[in-house]
Amino acid sequence: MLKTILIQSLVAGILAAVAANIYNQIYFFATLVDYENIINPGSLVGFNLLVSLLAGLLYLLLTTLFKAKGAIIFNFVYSVGSFACVIIPIAITLPLSTPSPELFPGLTVPMVFFPALSWMTIDPLFKKVGFEIKTN
Amino acid sequence: MKKLNYLLTVAVLIFVSAFTFIQSQDWKVAEGYSIKFDGGDPSGEFSELKGTIKFDEKNLADAKFDMTLDVASINTGNGMKNTHAKSEKWFDAEKYPTIAFTSSAITKTSTGFEAKGTLEMHGVKKEVIIPFTFDNNTFAGNIEVNRFDFGLDDGKHPKMGTILKVSITVPVTK
Repeated sequence: MLKTILIQSLVAGILAAVAANIYNQIYFFATLVDYENIINPGSLVGFNLLVSLLAGLLYLLLTTLFKAKGAIIFNFVYSVGSFACVIIPIAITLPLSTPSPELFPGLTVPMVFFPALSWMTIDPLFKKVGFEIKTN
Repeated sequence: MKKLNYLLTVAVLIFVSAFTFIQSQDWKVAEGYSIKFDGGDPSGEFSELKGTIKFDEKNLADAKFDMTLDVASINTGNGMKNTHAKSEKWFDAEKYPTIAFTSSAITKTSTGFEAKGTLEMHGVKKEVIIPFTFDNNTFAGNIEVNRFDFGLDDGKHPKMGTILKVSITVPVTK
């Protein structure tokens, strides 16, 4: 189980990092504002992997404590936690050399949801038990 | 003899009058200037500075600063705070688009110079003294501004610092 969770965490982190980098490029072409000194491919990969690995640990903890209900609690906690983290990019004070700080939340707020979104997208692939649709 | 004295007087007057044409040097604001303020939270800077500078260390009587800051250029590093700072609750950039300083006298001190003049901010004029230095074609000075003196208070931020420490660094060229 530990190995499965670790792989799921890594895959989720990589997918979230890919999505974040694509969004970063789209945002740059749309606004022509470069936040390279804060948001760059390296920081996005590091952030998404770290968050996904921490989420994996939390998943392991909750499924150990609450068995089958652990996954449900985890999804709820991950979603609410991601939503609560929206405040971070809105409230952060950037270095004064950073241009157009008012556009920074537009870049980073959606990214806050990428790790959870990525985890939940691939989650069914890592479950042994699934729904079986019976037909006559 | 009287004639000689008269000629001598005229010669001295002509010689002395030559020095009356010595004027203060005009300077232009160069790239790399910074007007930073520190009020704890928020702190930041103004990025648009304009004005005229007349300054000659040897002729301070004619020296004069007439500078304006564009209030809309305020940057605290946070977009939400920038919008808030420009709103009518704080600087009211629409009604008072500039912060102006006009000197009335510049004097030499033991550490550098002092510019006495009028600071106009948020529609309030107040006499201030800005101590500064002038080295390598760069003016550098610091001033502490009590924001309440200029009506900068929305009544909702009692923990915000009363005193704004303003650091000014202005490189100049001729």
